[in-house]
Amino acid sequence: MVNPVLLLAVPMGLAFTVPVIERITGRVSRWVPVAAMLFNLVLCVRLIPAVLEGPVIVQLGGFVPPFGINLYVGPLGLFFAGLIALAGLVISVYSLTYIRTGPLARYHMLYILLLVGATGVALTGDLFNLFVFFEILCISSYALVAYNGDRAGLESSVKYLIQGSVGSSMLLVGIGMLYGIFGTLNMADIARSVGMVDQGVLFVPLIFMLGGLGVEAAIFPMNAWLPDAHSSAPSSISAVLSGIAIEVGLYAVARMVFTVFGISDLFLFLAFLGVLTLLIGEMCAFAQSNIKRMLAYSSIGQIGLILFALAVASGVTVTGGLFQFVNHTFSKGLLFLSAGYLIYRSGSMEISSLQGMGRRMPLTSLAFTVGSFSLVGLPPFAGFPGKFLIVRGALERGGTVIVVLTGLVLLCTILEGAYFFRVVQALYFREGISGGSGERAPAAAAVAMILLMMLILALGAYPQFAETFLRSAASDLMGAVEHVGSVL
Amino acid sequence: MTKMIWYVLSPLIALVVGILLMGLSRKLLARIHWRVGPPILQPVIDLIRFLSQKSASHGFLFDSGLILSLAGSLVLTLFLPLGQYTPMSGSGGLLVILYVMLLGPLGIAFSSGGAANPYASIGISRKLMLAMGYELPLLLIVLTVMTGYRTISIVEVVRIQQAQGWAIATFPLLLSALAYILILPAILGMRPFEVVGAAQEISSGPVVEFGGPHLALSTLQHALTTYIGLSLFVNLMLGGGSNPVFFLLKMLVVFVLCLCVHAVFPRFRVDQAIRYLWRWPALVAMAGLVLTVLMGG
Amino acid sequence: MTGVEIILAAAFAGALLTWFIGRTSSTAGSAFAVAVLLALTALVALLHGRVYETVFYRGFLGLPMSLRTDSLSWFFAMATTVLAALSGIFSLSYMKDRKNTGFFNTMLLLVNAAMLGVVFSGDLLSFFIFWEIMSWSTFLLISFNRGQGVNAGLKYIVMSLVGSMAMLVGIGWLLGAFGTLNIARLSELIPSASGGHQLVLLLLFGIAFGIKNAVMPLHTWLPDAYTEAPSPFTAVLSGMLTRMGIFGFLLILYVMAGAARVLHSPGSTVPTYNVVLAWLGAVTIVVPTFIAMLQNDAKRLLAWHGIGQGGYMILGMAFGTGMGLAGGIFHTLNHAIYIVLLFMSVGAVQHRTGGVRDLNSLGGLARKMPVAFIGALMGISGLIGVPLTNGFVSKWMIYRTLILGGAPFLAFAALIGSWGTILSVYKFLHNVFLGQLPSKYENVRSSPVSMKIPILVLSFAILLFGILPGLPLKVIDGIVVSFGLPSLDVSLWGIASEAGTLNTVNLFAALAVGVLVVLAFVRILGRSERVGQDSNYSAGCGVPRDRYNYTARYYDPLFRMISPYLKDFFSTLYDGLARGIGSLCEAVRMIYTGYVSSYVMYILLFISAMIFIHLTWNPW
Repeated sequence: MVNPVLLLAVPMGLAFTVPVIERITGRVSRWVPVAAMLFNLVLCVRLIPAVLEGPVIVQLGGFVPPFGINLYVGPLGLFFAGLIALAGLVISVYSLTYIRTGPLARYHMLYILLLVGATGVALTGDLFNLFVFFEILCISSYALVAYNGDRAGLESSVKYLIQGSVGSSMLLVGIGMLYGIFGTLNMADIARSVGMVDQGVLFVPLIFMLGGLGVEAAIFPMNAWLPDAHSSAPSSISAVLSGIAIEVGLYAVARMVFTVFGISDLFLFLAFLGVLTLLIGEMCAFAQSNIKRMLAYSSIGQIGLILFALAVASGVTVTGGLFQFVNHTFSKGLLFLSAGYLIYRSGSMEISSLQGMGRRMPLTSLAFTVGSFSLVGLPPFAGFPGKFLIVRGALERGGTVIVVLTGLVLLCTILEGAYFFRVVQALYFREGISGGSGERAPAAAAVAMILLMMLILALGAYPQFAETFLRSAASDLMGAVEHVGSVL
Repeated sequence: MTKMIWYVLSPLIALVVGILLMGLSRKLLARIHWRVGPPILQPVIDLIRFLSQKSASHGFLFDSGLILSLAGSLVLTLFLPLGQYTPMSGSGGLLVILYVMLLGPLGIAFSSGGAANPYASIGISRKLMLAMGYELPLLLIVLTVMTGYRTISIVEVVRIQQAQGWAIATFPLLLSALAYILILPAILGMRPFEVVGAAQEISSGPVVEFGGPHLALSTLQHALTTYIGLSLFVNLMLGGGSNPVFFLLKMLVVFVLCLCVHAVFPRFRVDQAIRYLWRWPALVAMAGLVLTVLMGG
Repeated sequence: MTGVEIILAAAFAGALLTWFIGRTSSTAGSAFAVAVLLALTALVALLHGRVYETVFYRGFLGLPMSLRTDSLSWFFAMATTVLAALSGIFSLSYMKDRKNTGFFNTMLLLVNAAMLGVVFSGDLLSFFIFWEIMSWSTFLLISFNRGQGVNAGLKYIVMSLVGSMAMLVGIGWLLGAFGTLNIARLSELIPSASGGHQLVLLLLFGIAFGIKNAVMPLHTWLPDAYTEAPSPFTAVLSGMLTRMGIFGFLLILYVMAGAARVLHSPGSTVPTYNVVLAWLGAVTIVVPTFIAMLQNDAKRLLAWHGIGQGGYMILGMAFGTGMGLAGGIFHTLNHAIYIVLLFMSVGAVQHRTGGVRDLNSLGGLARKMPVAFIGALMGISGLIGVPLTNGFVSKWMIYRTLILGGAPFLAFAALIGSWGTILSVYKFLHNVFLGQLPSKYENVRSSPVSMKIPILVLSFAILLFGILPGLPLKVIDGIVVSFGLPSLDVSLWGIASEAGTLNTVNLFAALAVGVLVVLAFVRILGRSERVGQDSNYSAGCGVPRDRYNYTARYYDPLFRMISPYLKDFFSTLYDGLARGIGSLCEAVRMIYTGYVSSYVMYILLFISAMIFIHLTWNPW
């Protein structure tokens, strides 16, 4: 059996070789992220059989938990690691040609680090370790947001940095409090003894952690950095931030709530918060005329939807929420990637300037359309099974509040449909604005987009494949007791 | 065999009666106006003259519309009981009658459309608007009758009336009859509803382009329309007739009454006509229907 | 031997292949599309009389997806494919010189495939999936013409999404309550559900189907969509696609809730639902029909009739005796035939006049485009329900049901709707084909053959089903019987029953004899000479052309009387709602002020508020 530590160690090692390779030959360095992510993907696939039998626990440095730091590679962690590797791979293929100017070596290095941070968050079984990986993730993304070096990028990067730092401090305070209460930072260890402590005492660290992680997960009202950061970053980075970074943040929130704290009293509040995030995200997206800001706000909406799904906390909705993670990664990735070239060709981020692109850039426009349809949740694309599972599970669980919230979720879908279809119409059915060259997206970008489109279609047509795995991931997330049992 | 004869006899009687009623109307009108007036057989003389002339045709649609119109009216007479005789009693009842009644005006409309005369177009548009005006109360009336007697067959309607008394003499249906009387001049195209022909304004409207045989056909069609309008009223409200003579006598009485109104009234503008038709007759007819439903239920 | 799976596979594969063939040559693509549609028609026809169900896919979240066919499915599938094939033939020349023909053909086939999927679905999940594919491909086709079509498409898809979401809730609910989505299983289980549950389900599904079928007040997408879509697709849209709503209603009311429960179950909420539905149908007949009278755009006028005629179907179906139901289903077919025909006629005129469909600028085209005129004439005859056309029979059945069922007010709505129809469609016919020909259309050519064929076929169908209504009614009778209602006494030429019979062949014979008599009379006695259209009234003088055609404000006095009452109130309401949501969104956007200090404040506020709540009320 392969050691899951390699999932973190190899890419991180490769990341630091990038500047060296850059010195030797500039042309190879951009392939390093591809290699790293390919390696991770293969590793993840090879780990699947073992993980399905039972979670793989890796002790770092040989200390037995709760004393040592451990990696916890359950179905959920592996799911995230795999998703990150897959999306990272596709996006790095896209970046091969998309990123042409600027300090390329730093871009590729930071890109790998960002993904390593995300993978680390997904795999770790230790709170402080989680914090560290989070910092890796955040710091690389601060830098990458400003990659273009323009005013907007720098400004939003600084804003992101400030808010992110506040969030990190909150997280750290929360972790500190927990250490004060439990004397340990091992998740399983805390989960084991969480029942013996007064709930009132636990609440304050929980809120601090929720607030801190909420910033990264883009939960309302801690998500104000997101529209700026996502819209001014290079499109490939927007794709990673939307498709991976905030999802990992949400994963961390879910881990805290489900596994570490095991507080079910808060679920209704979180469902409410999810729907609020969804509403506000979709409404803001509806009001946008800038395509990248629109996509960014739509990400907020999706995070809200997934938070709602997780907070309803039935097996079906959590599976649906995880499915929606996958769909969002692929669809939003695809949307940002195609928008990247649409913007590149038209020279403007305004939706009105994208008119008539369907004729000039057929493949890119098609990619955008597929992404839109999938995100809205139309069959036969990947968005539908996720939405269907969420609605089904929420209605099965019942309760007036949940049913009303489900209704709101669906209303948001209509809003989402309205603004996405508007863009699709602009691409295909509005009179084109002349000017600009009729160049197509380069081969690497086309490969990336086609790959994502195929993944979306495959998932939409055969969701069973993902669902069986996701169901075990869902029970991994919800089963705090099993988690404790397998680690200790 | 006697039944078969009525397939021929009904339309013929209808034509003859219709033409005679036209002649009678001119004579009677003249007398009310203190004139001598043409002889009663004047329409027959006119018809013979029209047929002996040569007319201008505007093509297939112009001819066929007229033919369809007359044929439709002829067929319609087969559905209407003439005394105890109804040749086509089992082919759809009152609903079919209502619809076959469309063929007459529609045929004329197609025919005038085939010509390019704007007067014809104006006439048709007025005809259709006026029809919309009186159909609203008429449909209510017919529905009241059908609901009241629980049948859609006009033969049944007549039979029940002959057994239980005329519709005009039974209470809720009285209102319908009243409404029917109010709209009867409009159905017959008489004053105060003579907006379609309006000789002074639009040169007789739909028939402006007809001459010779075409005019003969349209005159025959008009004669049949008069017959049909009266016949429907007599059958629905006055209990039909136990034999054709008695039936035709009732028609004559109703016609003369209408003629008296026709003789003394000026005419409405088309919008005034619709306004009137949609107000009182419609209200009364609606009241009749409501009461029928309430009392029947 | 053909199976439902094969038909669907062929339909979807055909759509895909059309795309690739269309990329190499648009002519070949169009030809291939027509071939696929004809092949599908044949395949569906072969399915006649078979009843079976088969699971075709198990890969979707553990829910077996199945297809089934029975008389109801077959009837709708047959109508769908035949009309789609005719529209395909029609589009051959209509779309010839346009851009994106390949896309159009692909989407047309995709819509068709999705419709087949909807009618053949054996479970609600497949139903929903096909329904959604149908919706978004329709959206793309409505937007196809650009310009105003873009707004029409957006309106359509948003309303369609509202319906879909309602349906999704309904489906989720059913799955939660019964653990299955199989229609056959559900039809056994649903009758045992409580009245309240049934009502909620019927409401949820009713929203979806009501929007699709454009029942007032959910109709507002339709006029724009019909008007702006390319004419061959408007034909498909108006003919069968909109009527998937009727199919849906039949499915939930008669297949799933059960006819027995719909009709004779005192105390159950379903009959009340039906009464409300019937009244909505009545309103849907009257108001749009009168609004149609005010239109000056040929397609928009027909579009409003599309709404109005949908009301008849709803009325017949919701009133729900055997004959009313049969009338509603038959009217669905009849309406499809004549509305497709009418849109094709308009399309032919548009094709030859360069896209003109303004009723005030056309006229006199009957001599230039005789086939289109015949199509329009037959179409409006069917629409009015002139005896011996198909529309007459179905309307007769609906009226009869209503009158004898003791619902004279509903019958009144239906009848007055028919009379209102006459006015507006005569205006349509007159302003396009009759009266004076504007001089700029002197050189308009007759429609191409590929347009003539479908127009003539459909014109013939109108007469055929009008004179021998027994042909389709036999099939419909089978549907009615399969719902568990008593069989109608259908013969080839009509319906026999103790309280009023209909015999169309009699009527036909009488009218034919009448026409022959008059014709003979004219031949023997009358003489006439063919003269030019304007030589008569101008007495031979030169007439300035284009000045004396009476078309604009054709029913002006009536127009002035009724137009203040015929505002499309709901459209205004929805537009206002959309604008309101828009400004609300703008307002919500202001949360993100752009100042990082306020953002940080949000974070801190959240945490402090939570702690405050916790300490004060201790709710957790």
